[in-house]
Amino acid sequence: MIDQMEPAPKDTEYDLYFGPAHPGSGNFGVKLKIDGEIVTSARADPGYLHRGFEKLMEYRTPLQNAVLSDRICILEPLNWNLVHAEAVDELMDIDVPERAKYIRVIMAELSRIQSHIIWYGVFSKGTGFDTGFKMAFGYRDYILDLFELITGGRVYPAGYICPGGVRRDFPNGAKDKILKVLDKMNEMIKLEELENPALDARAKGVGILKVKDAIRLGATGPVLRGSGMRTDVRKDEPYEIYNRLDFDVPVRKEGDAYARNIIGIEEMYQSIKIVKQALEDLPEGEVIALKFKRPKVKDKIPEGEAYTRNEVARGEAAVYMVSDGGSTPYRCKIRGPDFLHMIPVLEYLLKGAQIADIPAIYWSLNICPADMDR
Amino acid sequence: MVKRSKKARTMRKVIKSIWIFNWFNSCGFCELVPLVGSRWDMERFGMIIVGTPRHADVLFIAGYQTPKSIKRAKRVYEQMAEPRVVIALGSCTMTGGMYWDSYNTIKRLEDYLPVTIYIPGCPPRPEAVFEACEKIFKHVNELE
Amino acid sequence: MNSNEGREAEILKVVSSKFDAEGKIQRDRRIWVSINEGKLIELCAFLKNQRFEHLSAISVTDWVKEGKFEITYHLWSYKDKILVTLKTKIDRKKPVVESVASIWGESAQIHERELHELFGVKFKDNPDLSSLFLEDWQSPPPFRKDFDWREYVREKYYDKENERELVYYD
Repeated sequence: MIDQMEPAPKDTEYDLYFGPAHPGSGNFGVKLKIDGEIVTSARADPGYLHRGFEKLMEYRTPLQNAVLSDRICILEPLNWNLVHAEAVDELMDIDVPERAKYIRVIMAELSRIQSHIIWYGVFSKGTGFDTGFKMAFGYRDYILDLFELITGGRVYPAGYICPGGVRRDFPNGAKDKILKVLDKMNEMIKLEELENPALDARAKGVGILKVKDAIRLGATGPVLRGSGMRTDVRKDEPYEIYNRLDFDVPVRKEGDAYARNIIGIEEMYQSIKIVKQALEDLPEGEVIALKFKRPKVKDKIPEGEAYTRNEVARGEAAVYMVSDGGSTPYRCKIRGPDFLHMIPVLEYLLKGAQIADIPAIYWSLNICPADMDR
Repeated sequence: MVKRSKKARTMRKVIKSIWIFNWFNSCGFCELVPLVGSRWDMERFGMIIVGTPRHADVLFIAGYQTPKSIKRAKRVYEQMAEPRVVIALGSCTMTGGMYWDSYNTIKRLEDYLPVTIYIPGCPPRPEAVFEACEKIFKHVNELE
Repeated sequence: MNSNEGREAEILKVVSSKFDAEGKIQRDRRIWVSINEGKLIELCAFLKNQRFEHLSAISVTDWVKEGKFEITYHLWSYKDKILVTLKTKIDRKKPVVESVASIWGESAQIHERELHELFGVKFKDNPDLSSLFLEDWQSPPPFRKDFDWREYVREKYYDKENERELVYYD
């Protein structure tokens, strides 16, 4: 019997599809070629969630688009509402009242805290630390209850930040509730910072990205700050009232998965600081510009074009809007941070890694497939 | 002793606790994951998440589908063992929802998969998902 | 802030005199420049040397009535903190243009791949222009202005026999 067996094959390379129905990947597929235990090449397979947002917005007026803009990235709806509202404000040359600017910044920072909690939760689940997952999603519900009190919806706020201001004012007692929730968040971050030896061993020294490669591949946000470059759209080009607030931008030099996660935790502290400062200085007044208080169907957008940039939780987001005088935008291009993180950066980082390191690299980039496909 | 039909006896033996397959699509992700968390704990009802369709009883289609992802969902459905149930969440599965004029989404889910229960909402609250599961248990209890 | 104010005017002067382009300053930190297609690659290489290292986005606008596609490149400089937008127009019936992937690397290459699939614009010398989002798509490129989505959806997906959907056929 032994003489009739075939000789062993010379190469040990095989294909593996880390696909959409996998508990560790979430609606996005990567085709890997593996030799033994080491990945030799990776190719991304996007398109499971493509709806064509840019052309859907050409059929609807700006106030209708504000409701559609919270679904561009499902995990941080209020930040994307803000980018779209700023682009329309610049095109139509509207003065937003002061109280509305403060409320917009408070809601955007609360949404950033909620998005970083999800990042910590799914990173722990992917590397096997189940307690972190349960704890993160338990504490996230405090913020969702706040959103329901102020905007009316737990997850999607139905276009709360619309062009011209915000849709309605804070109800009575909202300020005390926000301060109590921020105390709970402080408690949770102290628990997250306890060093867990299993997480450290899996994330330190894995997936290293140098600064020159990061700029060439198009990375922005926490991924670029983890490699050593000090940049943040809120400090480079301040929008709304960020130039009056006092906060820090955390930066690390190593460029591995552990550095990116620590930046995520430190950014939550800075967001809590921003919300407390904005709540103290909140002025009285109107919350929406007069033109949008009673909108009419015949309102037209004047001719022109505008490009606004913002810092959402995952990186740099931008909207390029062109109008030719009609009542709907002529072209609305949406630039999301995940389009660059999930295709060029991921293919570059996975080359040469081991199979056991794939979840740590994958979840440390803080991906959101809906933002990539639009 | 109540005399029940053969179908009722098999269903009562099999559907005591529901095991769900891990296909968290688009918009449903942000309202199904809190179900697993500690505030709306679903393990007290016996429901857990499994990693392979061959162990699962229920497939949740949680949001809009594109032609590319409905092909994969169909292959997952064919690998599940009888008795199996499909629950459709959200208004995008009923009429196309907010993306009714998009060229790349599916408008009526019942053309592709046999649906048992629809849960309306955009997105539906976790309490609504529990009420749907309770209806399944009640229906199985009342079968004769 | 004061030391930066003159920088936009400096950049605009150098660009318009050297490359025969017209431009304007829309507000602080925003410069818009229109240029001919022939001089595009030279201008891009010049701007990259002036520390405009970050390519924020590439986009295509479809002007049906004029019969042209307008391609825009948005460049950001981390040192001066200014955004420059380059715009060129090409013919709509034969849309071919040089690729900038040799200057800005993979981030330019992935934007051009997406635009090739959705608008049908061909970028010469781009190493990989295969399809990205859609599988088995046979009809014309979907984001052009002459492909009406509501007509397409009415024919393909909705059904006059179904009484829930009569409302879409008025």
